[in-house]
Amino acid sequence: MPELLEVRNAVAGYGSGPAILNGADLDVAPGEIQCIIGPNGAGKSTLMKAITGLLPIRSGEIRLMGERIDRLRPDQILKKGIAFVPQERALFPKMTVRENLRMGGYTIRDEAELKRHIDDVLDRFPILRERAGQHAGTMSGGQQQMLAMARTLIVRPKIVMLDEPSLGLAPMIVQQMFDIMRQLRDSGMTVLLVEQNAVVGLKNADRGTVLDLGRTLFSGPAEDILKDPRVRELYLGKAAA
Amino acid sequence: MLSSILQVLILGLALGGVYALMASGLTLIFGVMRIVNLAHPIMIIAGAFVAYWLFRLYGLDPILAMPIAAAVLFVIGIVLYKLIFEKEAANAKYSEMTVLLTFAVALCADGLLGALFSNTQRVTTPAYGTDAFIFGTIFIPKGQAYAGAISLLVIGTLLAFLNFTRFGAAIRATTQNRAAAQLMGVNVGRVSLITFGIGIALAGAAGALVSFIFSFFPAKHWEWIAILMSLVVLGGMGKLMGAILGAFLLSVIAAFVGTYFGSTWSTMTFFLALFVILLVRPQGLLGDKIEEA
Repeated sequence: MPELLEVRNAVAGYGSGPAILNGADLDVAPGEIQCIIGPNGAGKSTLMKAITGLLPIRSGEIRLMGERIDRLRPDQILKKGIAFVPQERALFPKMTVRENLRMGGYTIRDEAELKRHIDDVLDRFPILRERAGQHAGTMSGGQQQMLAMARTLIVRPKIVMLDEPSLGLAPMIVQQMFDIMRQLRDSGMTVLLVEQNAVVGLKNADRGTVLDLGRTLFSGPAEDILKDPRVRELYLGKAAA
Repeated sequence: MLSSILQVLILGLALGGVYALMASGLTLIFGVMRIVNLAHPIMIIAGAFVAYWLFRLYGLDPILAMPIAAAVLFVIGIVLYKLIFEKEAANAKYSEMTVLLTFAVALCADGLLGALFSNTQRVTTPAYGTDAFIFGTIFIPKGQAYAGAISLLVIGTLLAFLNFTRFGAAIRATTQNRAAAQLMGVNVGRVSLITFGIGIALAGAAGALVSFIFSFFPAKHWEWIAILMSLVVLGGMGKLMGAILGAFLLSVIAAFVGTYFGSTWSTMTFFLALFVILLVRPQGLLGDKIEEA
């Protein structure tokens, strides 16, 4: 199957500082949940930011359905079909749930279409319908994560990218989040996530990619990566392997 | 006694509206771009000059000249942003750099206006500038009443624009979380450009009103920097409602201080307020708590 998203030899860093990504590669197939894992400082979040245009790459290539997107702005990349929930969720705390969802559909100019999309998303997240008038900043962590994910779905993207979606959430909420990701995948969407908790991430993914020191070490079916001794070595050191 | 208090209160509120308009552009620009625009007051002076010359040359009422002053200053704002601030947006020390850059812009504009029009005190003199509404023992200068009312109208329009339009939502989103706004598909570069233009246009609009309630000259902007800073810092930097609240609060306090302790102390009210608020509550009345670095 042709890849939906391809990253080739990407090099990126912050400002004039050293490169965090040192030639990372990534292949994401349509309709899969792929989890990127790696120890602290591996460059997982940096790779996500590079794909979404928040951090321009210094060299390499990023392609969506064969088209280069690595010189586009974040708003242009969103229009191409890549939506992103960063680690800090990036909600608008002083806006209500409904206003946040409307901002999620900022690129949809037709009001009737926007309302329809928001209604569809609220059907998927009933808790958000109940709290439509509440300010996002006053919600619990789990509800905020739901809102952040719901907001990306308004534009019906090809790929939803999530950076550490389980961070700071109770196990029950984490499981709910992964259930939603599976529903998205089953409806034809592609999910790309970064997880510090490799076991949780890979158990819920179809495919995994392992990063270390800004480079891709290997990738493959998630269940194979879970059993791979190299992963254990990467996280716990050589002695444990 | 009561009518005297009421008199001072009304004058304070009328001026408060104008101060709020003067500060609104400053706080809007800071909210979206984190630019501490020290050149904002000189833009107000420039707007006052536009209204002044339109009145002198064509007899155009300064209130009617207000949209023209706003339009002229909008264009100046767009040009300034393109020439200076757009490049600096990529700089990691952006906010600190903008203090120096806007200071330089203020110096240059001050020099330019001084060279063109000299530092002679000027005031636009429409007929209502020396007239007043009189209600028993209370009088309200018509100039201040009109300027205050029109300022509120402009601020109301701005708030409606920010709260009920798509572009206004983009401005609010960029103010709250710039990166998140980008991820929602907002072209934050364009939002910054237009917001800077709007902020400077608001200075121009305020200038047209200022032209008939205060005497003005180019170097006057140095005094206004501290006054405007005190208004926006009191309300909370970047908070439009905060700037409006700060403007009314300080204007009324300054009016009472001026009446009972003399005009020197009236101006000092703003400076002291700036000092005290920075010491006691640096985030301002409506600002979020400042995180420790």
